Amino acid sequence: MNETESAIDKGEVEGKVEGKVEGIAKGDLLVILRHSPHGSSWLREGLDAALVAAAFGQQVSLLFAGDGVLALMPHQQAGALGQKGTHGVIDMLAMYDIETLLVDAHALTSRGLSAEDLMLPVSVVEGDALPKLLDRHPLVLNF
Amino acid sequence: MASSEIYRYLSVQDKDIALDPEGFLVDMADWSPAVAEALAAEEERTLTAEHWEVIEVLRNFYARYEMAPAMRPLVKAVGLALGAEKGKSLHLMRLFPDSPAKVGARLAGLPKPANCL
Amino acid sequence: MILHLLNRSPATGGTVDDALAAMGPDDRLLLIEDGVLGALPAQVARFTGLTGRLFALREDLAARGLLERCEEQANIVDVDGFVTLTEEADKTVSWS
Repeated sequence: MNETESAIDKGEVEGKVEGKVEGIAKGDLLVILRHSPHGSSWLREGLDAALVAAAFGQQVSLLFAGDGVLALMPHQQAGALGQKGTHGVIDMLAMYDIETLLVDAHALTSRGLSAEDLMLPVSVVEGDALPKLLDRHPLVLNF
Repeated sequence: MASSEIYRYLSVQDKDIALDPEGFLVDMADWSPAVAEALAAEEERTLTAEHWEVIEVLRNFYARYEMAPAMRPLVKAVGLALGAEKGKSLHLMRLFPDSPAKVGARLAGLPKPANCL
Repeated sequence: MILHLLNRSPATGGTVDDALAAMGPDDRLLLIEDGVLGALPAQVARFTGLTGRLFALREDLAARGLLERCEEQANIVDVDGFVTLTEEADKTVSWS
């Protein structure tokens, strides 16, 4: 790691300052996750990108859209051949100070799910707020 | 990430422990406190009670999340487990100079932290 | 203004819907690679809200033999045009 100690200790405090502005989440990086666990490596790669950015002190927001909402299902397990899932990483996000977890409302309803079904507390984003969400992050990575 | 390549062996209590090119355990199941002592001795580090409690935090982190932490989450995990006084990068830099996340993971028998350059 | 890049065919899969749902009123959409199928008459109706903001990459259309079949609603740009679009945008977001 090439972080200085002061940057890390400072980051601990700063991470909490800017959360939401006018109800729309804000941050340095928005990672959009649109793929389900197990089916491909997209989700894991997106989460890895988020962790790396967070480890370097970037304020990261995650948007779970499409099948990406399945990443938040409780009671996930390893795959049939013992492949590691992504639920361990989801559980770990708070340790990386990734606390802005957003879920696309349409992704939930079209799968018969609601925010209460998910393993972590999330903010549900209605469709018309999505463009603003992208606008408020200088960098958007799509997985 | 953990490398499965055996680069060399470290002899601990008459057992040969396989290490990868960066000195991380090839098989995590080989870990024991004696292995940690031997790995530390290689780097001329002596493990004190303060080191051991951080090693325990690291091993608990891996048991829960299946990943070795980078520096930032390590600082946070240590703070949560051992109190805010110890949850500081300065404290960890003093215990494990150079790169606490990497050095700590090696001694704790974990894979190299993935998002740690 | 964000430049959105779509490289998946709108005729298969829902990536195009994800992209459209995330687009703001000034954002632009550039169809590249298999995304250029969106410029065909049978597909272009999906993009009716994007008048003047829909683009398709000439090279990818030509490679697929689709250049002559392209609907007028899509503005055809070459690689230089792609660069200009990128420069005019605050950022780009890829949908794949």
